[in-house]
Amino acid sequence: MSRKTERLVNLTIALLATKRYITKSEIFRTVDGYEGADDSKERMFERDKDDLRNLGIEIEVGTFDPLFEDESGYRIKPENYQFQLGEVNAQEIALLSLAAEAWRGASMAPSALSALNKLHAIGIESDTELLLNFAPAIVSQDGNLAVAISAITSKTVLSFSYLSETLQRESRALEAYAVTSRYGHWYIFGNDLDRKALRVFRLDRISGDLKLQGRSGSYEIPSDVDVDSAFSKPSGLLKATLFLRDGRGLNLRNRGLELNGGKAPVGWQEYELEYRDHERFVEEVLWYGSDVIVSRPQALRDEIISHLKSGVVKYG
Amino acid sequence: MAKPQSTPVERAARLLDLVPFISTHQGISLTDLAQEFSLTESELLSDLNTLWMCGLPGYTPLELIDLDFESGYVSIRNAEVLQRVRLLTKQELVIILLGLDILGNSLAADRKDLQEGISQLISRIKKIVGNIATAMPIVDSSHRATISQALKSRKDLIIKYHSTIRDTLTERTITPLEISLDHGFEVLHAYCQSAAGFRTFRLENMKSVLISTSSVATPEMTELSEIESGFEWDLLIKSRFRTSSERFRAVYQARDSVVAERITVSSFSQDWLLRNAISTLASVEVLTPVSARALIAEKCRQSLELYETWGFPK
Repeated sequence: MSRKTERLVNLTIALLATKRYITKSEIFRTVDGYEGADDSKERMFERDKDDLRNLGIEIEVGTFDPLFEDESGYRIKPENYQFQLGEVNAQEIALLSLAAEAWRGASMAPSALSALNKLHAIGIESDTELLLNFAPAIVSQDGNLAVAISAITSKTVLSFSYLSETLQRESRALEAYAVTSRYGHWYIFGNDLDRKALRVFRLDRISGDLKLQGRSGSYEIPSDVDVDSAFSKPSGLLKATLFLRDGRGLNLRNRGLELNGGKAPVGWQEYELEYRDHERFVEEVLWYGSDVIVSRPQALRDEIISHLKSGVVKYG
Repeated sequence: MAKPQSTPVERAARLLDLVPFISTHQGISLTDLAQEFSLTESELLSDLNTLWMCGLPGYTPLELIDLDFESGYVSIRNAEVLQRVRLLTKQELVIILLGLDILGNSLAADRKDLQEGISQLISRIKKIVGNIATAMPIVDSSHRATISQALKSRKDLIIKYHSTIRDTLTERTITPLEISLDHGFEVLHAYCQSAAGFRTFRLENMKSVLISTSSVATPEMTELSEIESGFEWDLLIKSRFRTSSERFRAVYQARDSVVAERITVSSFSQDWLLRNAISTLASVEVLTPVSARALIAEKCRQSLELYETWGFPK
């Protein structure tokens, strides 16, 4: 039952302890757990190497003497095995722990737990004042987030079906570059292989599971990739001027700029706002009912009026 | 952090991490160790028994890891090779990166000291994994911490709350009961002293959170379901299926046809349903209740009146 576990630990110890490369036949002879016919030992060893690599443990392959075609040997360099963030102080341990704790109960809790175990194993007491005053939390329950992250770290193409505005499934293949959380939703950003362009996808609009497709390391992430730029204001934003009733339209007030031209009736203020998606903005203005009135542009004003008239006809 | 049965590989990873942890916590009790690794004591004992069989090739007592845990306290010797803390996997680095970003982006401006520490850690991690993950929090980390403290010490809270349904900002004294998730968003169930009733508050809409010095008795908690049901409307979605469903927080799935679809939505707030219905006038028709249809017509007339008769210059 635990033979596999034991063998992986023993292999790690043997490869870590050795100063020189050790050959496969030495491994089979000395490391506990390699049994059976030669080819089954071979298969066992190949699987074990992959398993360790998936744990982030890099096994180096080399030869004893580059001049001779010796049987290749294996080792794990201690510097490639150990905690790679260098020296950390009490405050840093607290910050790193808080960051991992943020995932408590979320979709990636197992990774967070093992990260915490490692941080605690460093043996530095963390700054507990910090732990009390901040409680960052990430609440995603979406299993696709873990797949997206592993696709990015392993540079493996993702395939999935994405739900369009009409709720039709659209097949997508993506070289994922980054994930980001905004407005309470998770997004993947990358190179859409079908559309041949950079695209952003909202994770909860993906229908079914994200799938890894093909080999790892099949693309490069451009060094200047900037996921934030995909969300920053593009040029050619649309502009509108709105009248907001006293103390109403709080979100619009926060986003907009108050105009002090004196055109607003008593009990109202005039605000200028920028927006990107026309249909969404129309819906947003309508949401506030009679607390928000469009002043300019005329086309937007007419559109709102026509929706309201159709409402009276439909419901009246 | 509940977890399913671990695979042999996951177990191997845990054994590798147990060694450095025990090394820096010699004499730790089995109970504490099990808790740290989120295991039951019997799972931990089985791990320790396996670890005990591991060591350097040769596998004589000289080479085997020497573990002592019979007394109920765990100590380890002869494990120098595995004593270093294992590196963080890329997956672990990314989730820490995201956690740090969330923390850093919700710090008050007066915590420059922490801001610097966080930025340094973020850049150290980005050097390893690249600039592949960012997160803008919608909830302030210190607000959540204050709420947790109030829950633990059974104190009341004074919050400034932006009710998006009412489109108002109010100050309320509330007795917090429980944080949970509602459609993927964090909410606090509480007794609102100001409204004298049970209410649900979205954490992201809290503009400030303070622990109250006085404490008021709260009536017995009623069934939450009692307050959460309320209004049920039948809708016909004619276009913009995805956006419209999201507005009404209706679960949606892929569909084969693009013809209109009838769905039922519900909310404790009629006002919220009403606002959504007006917002989606172009793509959604409310079928029932009839009273709702009359309300929507009335709202439309009120707005039109402002557009047509009032002194709103163009």
